[in-house]
Amino acid sequence: MEAIALKAENINKEFHDPVTFSVLKDISFEVKKSEFVSIVGKSGCGKSTLLYVLSTMDTDYKGGLEINGTKVTGYTLNNLARIRNSSIGFVFQFHYLLPDFTCLKNVMIPALKLGKRSYSEIEASAYEKLKMLGVEEQALKKAAKLSGGQQQRVAIARALINEPAIIMCDEPTGNLDSKNTQNVFDIFRKLTKEFGQTIIAVTHDEDFAKKSDRIIEMADGAITSHG
Amino acid sequence: MRPQINTEIAITYLSSRKKQTLIAALGVMFGVSMFIFMQSLMKGTNDYFEQQSFNNTPHIRLYNESKIADTHLMRNYYKDSSVKILDNPKQVLENDGLTNPFGLMEMIKKMGDVTDITPQVTANVFYISGSVQVNGIVNGVNMDEESKMFDVQSNMVTGDLHDVDKINNGILVGKGIADKLSLHVGDNVTVRAATGNSMIMRVVGIFSTTVLQTDISKSYANIAQVQNLLGKDRSYVTDIKINVKDYNNAPNIAKDIEKITGYKAEDWVMANENLKAAFKIRAVILNSVIGVILLVAGFGIYNILNMTIYEKIKEIAILKATGFGSGSVTSIFLQQAIYIGIMGAVVGLAVGFGLTYMVSRIYIGAGTLKYLPMSFYPPHYIEAVCFAVATTIAAGFFPARKASKVDPVSIIRG
Repeated sequence: MEAIALKAENINKEFHDPVTFSVLKDISFEVKKSEFVSIVGKSGCGKSTLLYVLSTMDTDYKGGLEINGTKVTGYTLNNLARIRNSSIGFVFQFHYLLPDFTCLKNVMIPALKLGKRSYSEIEASAYEKLKMLGVEEQALKKAAKLSGGQQQRVAIARALINEPAIIMCDEPTGNLDSKNTQNVFDIFRKLTKEFGQTIIAVTHDEDFAKKSDRIIEMADGAITSHG
Repeated sequence: MRPQINTEIAITYLSSRKKQTLIAALGVMFGVSMFIFMQSLMKGTNDYFEQQSFNNTPHIRLYNESKIADTHLMRNYYKDSSVKILDNPKQVLENDGLTNPFGLMEMIKKMGDVTDITPQVTANVFYISGSVQVNGIVNGVNMDEESKMFDVQSNMVTGDLHDVDKINNGILVGKGIADKLSLHVGDNVTVRAATGNSMIMRVVGIFSTTVLQTDISKSYANIAQVQNLLGKDRSYVTDIKINVKDYNNAPNIAKDIEKITGYKAEDWVMANENLKAAFKIRAVILNSVIGVILLVAGFGIYNILNMTIYEKIKEIAILKATGFGSGSVTSIFLQQAIYIGIMGAVVGLAVGFGLTYMVSRIYIGAGTLKYLPMSFYPPHYIEAVCFAVATTIAAGFFPARKASKVDPVSIIRG
């Protein structure tokens, strides 16, 4: 039996403002290790909300969440931060780099925070990730000086720096042209195949979704297809 | 060693907004330098006035206080329970000298903490020259010891103060007396005591203090001469003047001396109540000014950090998403406040010192005061840094805590 990277059990979530509204209804699913899963659905179906619950950033939900076989529901915020730091990488729809830092530093920050490797090791590894994404030439530029596509790739490099078990993406290719989209997809594919990393991507991009291992479809806060 | 990542982020944030950082640091700098300047000025003037008062007042003066007659004799005689009333009590006429003064001095010396001790005979006199009379007080002293305890030398206008001990009938008069009686060094002056005895003395020097009242009444003569003038023997001493190691401890020592000798021991604090009151009032004024300055500097830091947090809220969310806990975020922003504080404090120390030094070179030239008295007292500098850092931490704490409470989901999702 394959190892489970992430397991959601009966996740329910409600928004209370302005009126109580159920955004996630009894969501249960599993993602296996080194699986490449896309979550698709119409805008407002709750797929992003689900991603943020899975990411451990949103703790306001009912149900259970397991990451790498550890139940994280009910952990303190600081413990969850530590788990995110070491086991989860993020790629957001908007790149969200720290504009005052160089690209290289942006990539290095989560690893420096984790503090498991020496500074020079982290620096070398960050270069390697940037190279893999084809933006190594921008390494020493301030993040604010890059184009959107370049920033997105730097953000992906940052998500990879701690070699997390799970990479979560919110519209990872939203700002990329078709060439870069293909490029990013190939990298994700490589990560799952060669490094055994798990990828959960929320996307609108149907081509992107089709090429992934599995598509989870959502509608009105519930899963309609497990793919 | 490389700085921790939190520190690195804090420093990057500070250096990417140099202008704001500079303004916040300037606020702290201003607070620190003003703190140092004002404290130095206050301590300088206080020390000066204290020193001035020690030019005339010993740390402790031991004398025989004349007492009002009371009923203790009657009580001793009529050993019954009747109420004794003494109608219209008067001062008791006693020998106003100290009994066995040299024995007392030996005793006090043995108490330790005493650095200088000298006897004195004080007498009310008239200075007479021709037909003009000026009343005043002649202090019979041992000039060697006296000049060790008090800086008589610096007040000298002409003549040699040690001639008081060397020249028979030598007298040192205040400038006011000399002017009124037209006395010069080498002139004779008749000194008449209240008892009626008079003596012709020779002016060997003229001194001038900053206090007019002293200059027109006070004179110094050898203790033996004054004893002669009063027709008393060599054991007649009206005051014993005592200096101790730590003058702040003088009130306690005075109490001990009073207990041992039974005479009144007046310490310099008692003798200079008004001086102490002035010190206190100045301290209150000064501390409120400094408090306001530091408060303003604190608000500056608070504002700038608050603005930073609004500006950087997305970045804070990202930091939290990538695994920075609330403690790390607090540390990042608190460190910014602390660095602003330290920067301001370091520059403030230099500016404060420079300002103090500059002002200490301003020529005043009033009385014996040539330059503004400024003190260079290291604890002021340490206090200033401590206050600055404490203020910045207090000012940085609330914005930092606010930053640590940012909810990443609501920010990232927009």
